[in-house]
Amino acid sequence: MERNGFLSLSGVASRYGSTQVLTDIDLSIAKGEFVALLGSSGCGKTTLLRLLAGFISPSAGEVVVRQRDVTRLPPDKRGMALVFQSYALWPHMTVAQNIGYGLKLKGIAKAEIASRVSAMQQMLGLQGLEARKPANLSGGQRQRVALGRALAVDPEILLLDEPLSNLDARIRLSVRHELRALQKRLGITAIHVTHDREEAMVMADRIVILDAGRIAQQGSPEEVYNQPASAFVAAFMGAENVLSMNGQPDGDAFMLQAGPANKATAVPFAGRKLSAGAVEARFRPEAAQLFATEEFLPRRPGVAFGGEVLAVTYPGGHWRHVVRLGDREIMADAPQAFSPGMQVVVHVPAESLFLFNSPAS
Amino acid sequence: MSRRLLGLALIFPALAVIVFLFILPLIMSAVGAFQVESAFGWGNFVKTFDLYTKDIVFSVVIISLSTVLIGIASIAIGGYLTLGEHPVAVAILRWLYRWPMFIPFIVVGQILRTFLAKNGMMNNTFINLGLLTPIDAQSFLDWRGIVIAFVWKQTPFVTLLVAGAMASLNRETIDAARNLGASKLRVLIEIVVPQVAMTLTVGLILSFVTMMSVLSVPLMINAQSPTMLTADIAFRVNSYGDYGVANALGLVSLVLASSVAWIYLRASLKERA
Repeated sequence: MERNGFLSLSGVASRYGSTQVLTDIDLSIAKGEFVALLGSSGCGKTTLLRLLAGFISPSAGEVVVRQRDVTRLPPDKRGMALVFQSYALWPHMTVAQNIGYGLKLKGIAKAEIASRVSAMQQMLGLQGLEARKPANLSGGQRQRVALGRALAVDPEILLLDEPLSNLDARIRLSVRHELRALQKRLGITAIHVTHDREEAMVMADRIVILDAGRIAQQGSPEEVYNQPASAFVAAFMGAENVLSMNGQPDGDAFMLQAGPANKATAVPFAGRKLSAGAVEARFRPEAAQLFATEEFLPRRPGVAFGGEVLAVTYPGGHWRHVVRLGDREIMADAPQAFSPGMQVVVHVPAESLFLFNSPAS
Repeated sequence: MSRRLLGLALIFPALAVIVFLFILPLIMSAVGAFQVESAFGWGNFVKTFDLYTKDIVFSVVIISLSTVLIGIASIAIGGYLTLGEHPVAVAILRWLYRWPMFIPFIVVGQILRTFLAKNGMMNNTFINLGLLTPIDAQSFLDWRGIVIAFVWKQTPFVTLLVAGAMASLNRETIDAARNLGASKLRVLIEIVVPQVAMTLTVGLILSFVTMMSVLSVPLMINAQSPTMLTADIAFRVNSYGDYGVANALGLVSLVLASSVAWIYLRASLKERA
């Protein structure tokens, strides 16, 4: 893959009035890659996509496709097609007219348009719907028409602005896989904006996490999931349990001091960059293991916290417990239920415990 | 029971106004159109078509032409307000275009009389600029003056409706077309206007009906023959006391106005189906 040759952004910034929306975005995307831009609302991910599409000009930096500077080019001269969150189908046109409009704009002959539209319908499973208006389609069908309209002009780059967020939860799961399979089959480069972590994980080759207009981390789904670079990324990737601790380096391990719920424990550095002082410890509910206090035997390296079960619920597949550790409450999953009031040990394996120096220290 | 009576009592004044000031006079005028010296007959209509066929055609042509021009102008202004990229120009246009709405028809007539006359402001300006010799100057105070007055006065009203509808469109439908390479003009004609077609139609029909009923403009600008039906009705009543023919002319206007309303109703039913 020509990693540095296909689509690259360097030093891209954007401001809206006096608000800085994007700062210093450097990103290089290979041909055929599926990149997910992940972030919460207002992080600038849609702005970044619209900037790529050419609807907004950056206040600094440049966008390059195949060594060609496209920063100031109009939207249609960039070889990119955008699928909108609202689908933005034209209500007065039929399915066939919607899909074929881009071809009509290119001045392609009517017969050619008809055959390409029908091939597109075939590919997307929209056969027999060509004469329908968007108002008479289901959500999933509309989404596919929007996709077909974008793909019909044969773009090099497909931009997807939360295209699945308006679908029913059940359809969404299957559309994720369909969309990913289609992208692989066509070999098209795709940039997908989403706020749904699981969607990004399942669909993308690479995830770019945005926080307040900056890239917080980018990497493969496994990397961002297992080695979050910051407390923000860890929290965004589901490590919502947070504990404040203190510690200092000790050889090739980091020594966590005893706290209200734990004894002093050494955790191997394993690539972590930590200095002495206050640290923020984060872990996922599913990474923790629960034991009754009297049955706990430490078998794997990790940190054991003592606490009391406050509540237990069954979301399906496992039991989810709210446990009080000192002055904090955390969530922990277990295959069997521990009743409220029980004294338990929450064991977090070393590799699943994300440690970051607290910003104050 | 008493609540129901109270309800009826509350709507009675409004109902009475409609019945006595609108429906009853309408029926009396319709009946009057068929009354010739206390007998019923087609006499008034025979006389109407004998004397005023030319004026009926004149009215329909003038108002239709004005409606088309108002439609084009309001699409152009609304389109610029929606798609224009120069924020200052858009702001100025947004502020300017509404003014004629607040000027009464009679004043519009007066303004255009002084503007369009043979020695009016328009020709004087052209002559002073050297674009026109005094001999070539001609008066626009004929059918052209009426069309100019109507378009000038009614465009802001239709634009107000159309621009509002355009502003509430899903902007992404515009972006989607631009993304695929549509020029501004194509976006306007193929994407924006079809989506506001219903609002545009309503605006134009309301405008059409308003223009059907304007008396002051034809009287001020074009008090010659052929003229608009409203001027004929006023003339029949004021000069001859001939309510029969006036009523017949009124009924003809009513049929013309209802026919466009019928087009609208049919279109809106089709859209809902």
